[in-house]
Amino acid sequence: MTELSLRLAVSLAQIAAVMGIVMLTVMILTLAERKVLGWMQDRMGPMEVGPYGILQPIADGLKLFFKEDIVPAGANKAMFTLAPILAMVPAMIGFAVIPFGPNVTVDVFGITIKPFVISDINIGVLYILAFASIGAYGIILGGWSSNSKYSLLGGLRSAAQVISYELNVGLAIVGVLLLSGSLSLVTITQAQAGGFWHWFIWGARPDGFFPIHTQIFAFVVFVISAVAETNRVPFDLPEAESELVAGFFTEYSGMRFAFFFIAEYANMVLVSCVAASLFLGGWNAPYPGTILGYAGLEQLAWIENVAWFTLKVYMFLFLFFWLRATLPRLRYDQLMRFGWKVMLPIALANIVVTAITAYFFPR
Amino acid sequence: MNLKTWIKTITFYDLLVGMKATMSHLLHYRPITLQYPHEKRMLPDNYRGMLALLRYDDGTEKCVGCDLCEAACPSRVIRVVSAEVPGQPTKRYSKEYYMDMTRCLFCGMCVDACPVDALGMTREFEWAVYDKRQLHLNKEQLLAIGDRSFPVREKQLELQHQNVAFFNVAFKHLPQKPS
Repeated sequence: MTELSLRLAVSLAQIAAVMGIVMLTVMILTLAERKVLGWMQDRMGPMEVGPYGILQPIADGLKLFFKEDIVPAGANKAMFTLAPILAMVPAMIGFAVIPFGPNVTVDVFGITIKPFVISDINIGVLYILAFASIGAYGIILGGWSSNSKYSLLGGLRSAAQVISYELNVGLAIVGVLLLSGSLSLVTITQAQAGGFWHWFIWGARPDGFFPIHTQIFAFVVFVISAVAETNRVPFDLPEAESELVAGFFTEYSGMRFAFFFIAEYANMVLVSCVAASLFLGGWNAPYPGTILGYAGLEQLAWIENVAWFTLKVYMFLFLFFWLRATLPRLRYDQLMRFGWKVMLPIALANIVVTAITAYFFPR
Repeated sequence: MNLKTWIKTITFYDLLVGMKATMSHLLHYRPITLQYPHEKRMLPDNYRGMLALLRYDDGTEKCVGCDLCEAACPSRVIRVVSAEVPGQPTKRYSKEYYMDMTRCLFCGMCVDACPVDALGMTREFEWAVYDKRQLHLNKEQLLAIGDRSFPVREKQLELQHQNVAFFNVAFKHLPQKPS
């Protein structure tokens, strides 16, 4: 009994820590996006709240917290309330299987825990994909229950877009799954240890340097589809400001809007974490081992690993901002054509090629 | 599609050009933003800001109540109630003078129309108020704006130059009214 409660307490502490880090990252992202976007467009971004505007996320959060909570006339109140929760919970829950650091075990009061992953389940990737799909329901419901034509259009667009591009996400990572032979993100990341040429984006075999199993096409497909799946520019049709006011959250205000907003950014962080784990070696440094490990500080090597993981994730997040600053929105038929007639064949061809090379040159 | 276009397409060449442009703006960060409430733009000399009524240097109002500004105004901002100066039957003044600045489009036609230069456009532009009625200005308010924006005042017309007719357009050999 005490062991069970202890496990529960440790798990809850891990969940709280991960949630806190994700929320903090979302706060940083809201500011970082506006700043980076501003700098790229010869502006300054927020400058008023705090020195250089660094307290702007707190001010935004407080404002949204105290705003009036409006339910539009004719809206389905239950669904209207459910939608933001349904959008945010899957975005948060996906972090349960993300390995933030090395796969070490720590003994706390007699029980063994893995400090850098909440739950190392053997279907990690499927779990993330499943919950990402549930997140789409939140958007569709939010658009449908608002009793507004803009919201409805945004929700319908989102449904079509998520279905089209989730397929590409799923097919793009099949190559990685073939090579690593596992669905667990921890095992996949461990299979990429020992230098950047072993990362699945290059795909050298564990004993060689030649990038024979390269997944770079799958990586490109994955990144593009991930951008589309998180409804970001240039695929932000569900919330196209110039066409649909704000798309599916046109009628939302206050904390409900904040939930959608957090969900969008948490999804960005999630797909960045997944991309880093699957293709860029997760916590592994681009050189074999760790510098701290060579220096004899083996028990501090996790700092270096976590730093590399964070760096990779933030690189992806910066790419999101960079794309947003550069690219205009796609037209709807272009979006669909690109998803089904360009991305899908590339992903399928990648599976075939990877399967053949993996058969003749097994890892 | 020839080979060159094909290679450009599959490598996202055009997107990369655009992304290079945004990145170069990030690396050579020179914002053109003016942090407005903290730093303000230099206004041009002919800036047409808030309207004001002016006075002569002895403190008397310039306005003679001729109603020409009211006639010139395209937006019907101005309303003048003209009256005789008490005790001086040949002279008139504006007994009441109202401007509804919610409608003003700052064209400056009233200033051009005024024969005695009683109207001026100041450089004030921060006239946002919480209550629209505060923009319905009366004569005292307009004179106060003029007082704080034009501290250097003209002399009375009859003290400026003896031989100057006021509308001195045709007689170029006579001295002009100093402006």
